[in-house]
Amino acid sequence: MNQFCIQKFRIQKFHFQRSQLCIPYGLFLVCFVLAPLVVIIYYAFTNGEGKPTLENLTGFFSSPNTIGTLVYSLGIAVSTTCVCLLLAYPIAYILARSKMKHKSVVLMIFVMPMWINFTLRITALKEILTVLEGNLAYHPFLNTLIGMTYDFLPFMILPIYTTLLKLDNSLLEAAADLGADTVQTFMKVTFPLSVPGIISGIVMVFLPSMTNYVVLDMLYNSTYIMGSLIGAYFSAYDWHNGSMIALILLVIILLFTLFTNRYADEDAGSSRGGVLG
Amino acid sequence: MRKSKRMHRFAGMGVLGLCGLLGQSVSAQEKPIVLRVCSWEEYIDLGEWDKDEAIELDNGTVIYGEKPLYEEFEDWYRETYGKTVRVEYSCFGTNEDLYNQLNMGDSYDLVCPSEYMIMKLIAEDRLIPYSDNFFDTQDANNFYIRNVSPYIQKTLETNELHGQSWSTYAAGYMWGITGVLYNPALVTEEEASTWEIFGNPKFNRQITLKDNVRDSYFAALGILKKDELTDEAFIKSADYTERLADVMNDVRPETIAQAQELLNQLMDNVYSLETDSGKADMITGKIVANYQWSGDAVYAMEQADEDDFELRFAVPKESTNLWFDGWVMLKNGIRTDADRQHAAEAFVNFLSRTDNAVRNMYYIGYTSSIAGNAQDNTVYEYLKWCYGADGEEEELMEYPVGYFFSGENSDARYMLQSSVSQMGRQLYSQYPPQEVMERTAIMRYFDADANKAINQMWINVRCFDIEEVPMGVWLALLAALLFMVSMGFRKSRRR
Repeated sequence: MNQFCIQKFRIQKFHFQRSQLCIPYGLFLVCFVLAPLVVIIYYAFTNGEGKPTLENLTGFFSSPNTIGTLVYSLGIAVSTTCVCLLLAYPIAYILARSKMKHKSVVLMIFVMPMWINFTLRITALKEILTVLEGNLAYHPFLNTLIGMTYDFLPFMILPIYTTLLKLDNSLLEAAADLGADTVQTFMKVTFPLSVPGIISGIVMVFLPSMTNYVVLDMLYNSTYIMGSLIGAYFSAYDWHNGSMIALILLVIILLFTLFTNRYADEDAGSSRGGVLG
Repeated sequence: MRKSKRMHRFAGMGVLGLCGLLGQSVSAQEKPIVLRVCSWEEYIDLGEWDKDEAIELDNGTVIYGEKPLYEEFEDWYRETYGKTVRVEYSCFGTNEDLYNQLNMGDSYDLVCPSEYMIMKLIAEDRLIPYSDNFFDTQDANNFYIRNVSPYIQKTLETNELHGQSWSTYAAGYMWGITGVLYNPALVTEEEASTWEIFGNPKFNRQITLKDNVRDSYFAALGILKKDELTDEAFIKSADYTERLADVMNDVRPETIAQAQELLNQLMDNVYSLETDSGKADMITGKIVANYQWSGDAVYAMEQADEDDFELRFAVPKESTNLWFDGWVMLKNGIRTDADRQHAAEAFVNFLSRTDNAVRNMYYIGYTSSIAGNAQDNTVYEYLKWCYGADGEEEELMEYPVGYFFSGENSDARYMLQSSVSQMGRQLYSQYPPQEVMERTAIMRYFDADANKAINQMWINVRCFDIEEVPMGVWLALLAALLFMVSMGFRKSRRR
């Protein structure tokens, strides 16, 4: 009896509620995410004298420069995402559906570049592109696109590969039994079921490629994108406009994520219903 | 010898990450004076030289770096003044970063920004003037005032802000000029000796500008005002230096607008804008010319020499920029602490000791503001050690550097015997001849409005021009959008 009591006591002594596990992350969140956000919002809606203003906001949407930068960033992000998707999907598909013994090894080869330091990779790419193109300065957009794709491709391959790997083979067999040919099976079964993977791939590629200005800098593209524009305002001591642009970027990303999430849910739900129901 | 050393240093760059942590523990009996110093990265000798690296000069001085200079300063201060000081040494990346750090509440006692940032700090009344004792040449430990180059000190004294000369607040550290580093196999000296090279279609996409607004604006003004700048009457005018500085710091709205237009054109001609990659790209041959600071030009030329590849440095005929970094004491850090101010001034003096100045030059590669004096010619001996020649193998020239060392260019003591091949090369970049120095202009600090205007101008130049998008791209985008909308529409109807 006594023994039991001691044991119980011991357990209770180390017992804590599950919600308490959140405390470390909660602290992190408050210190490094929420607090800076509040500071950004404060700066975004004040002017040099510290008075509240909306000028930074209206200024952004009335200046051809900032709009041009936004368009250019979106252009880079959209094209990077498209190219990544076009390259990644077939690879992921072939890998996932193949009967190879050492799939993971092949996958590793595709993902391996991620393990090498990113600036080092871009420096190497710079040399390769110079050999191919001669003078890099003539194709800044193309180079940026290649650099970004090189950088973000693994982020597109992995999620698509994972979703395709999980795909239930019996569904494909059923489709074949019901008379669908390979193309039809792909269009009506495989592709719709892989949409969640595509969506998470898009999110992981699109968002960082809008702001990753290091790639542009290293590949000699002197045009500003959103990230570098924020930097330019900050080094000109204009924290207010810089913060506003950061905030606008945040809103764009938020809208984008909301949109893709909804789309993913709907699509996955309806397709699955179509096949199984 | 210098080259290998430099390479070795750059390989050890990671060490610098620690430079904020290097304050040494001190015996507990006495409360040490804490001196918080903030300077550029890679801007002080960190010691730990190899034994065979010691530089033996002809005047018998042996230069050898054992410990980081700020640590040696702690020892020296204790021996000289009997007090313990602890240096907290940290680094900044750009003048603007430093300024932002100061605004965010970081407090330092002694910082080393560039001239226009010093002016800004003076204008904002953030600096403490150096004490009278600092300028007392009788005190043997006042190395700065005893050793500073008369040329640099005169520049500091003649430049004023609100009636106060810079020398009251700033002690020169390193200085240099800007110019064009070029590949003589593909670019002639004449082509490189003008700011117009950046617009020269012959070098389309083979030349780089600097990725900062002040330097690029300076180059743009050099092109815009070339007729005025090369006009004989203008050059011969009595107040030439002053007028030149006025022209090169012109921030009238119409000038800024013209500069923007010009820079937009230049952007279509240059390879890229860079701060650091230009040196490597010159050496690998990606570009044939680049806008360069003299110190970095020396570094690039030495690197290229190792590959038996010649690079040269030219100074535009219109005008060039004389820049320098100087030590200034901050009100916010020192406040009224006399001990701390004394330590700060002693730190500047310690760095101005000729052997320490040589150590820094050897490590950093830039030119020190320290020249030495009649009794102590260590700096000049170092110059001889680097560039002196005896004429056994090469043709000789007399290269006068008296303007820097004694204030008199024809001074026979400072007539360097050097190889003719140094013209347009390292020696020329590190100690440009007097006729080049005559056409230097200092970058002034711009007031808030002008600053805003040129920063905005730069952003305008850098931002994507939406009108450049071809019609086809817009149509394709429209088509893609319509396609997506119709897909979504079909889907929802089907459901």
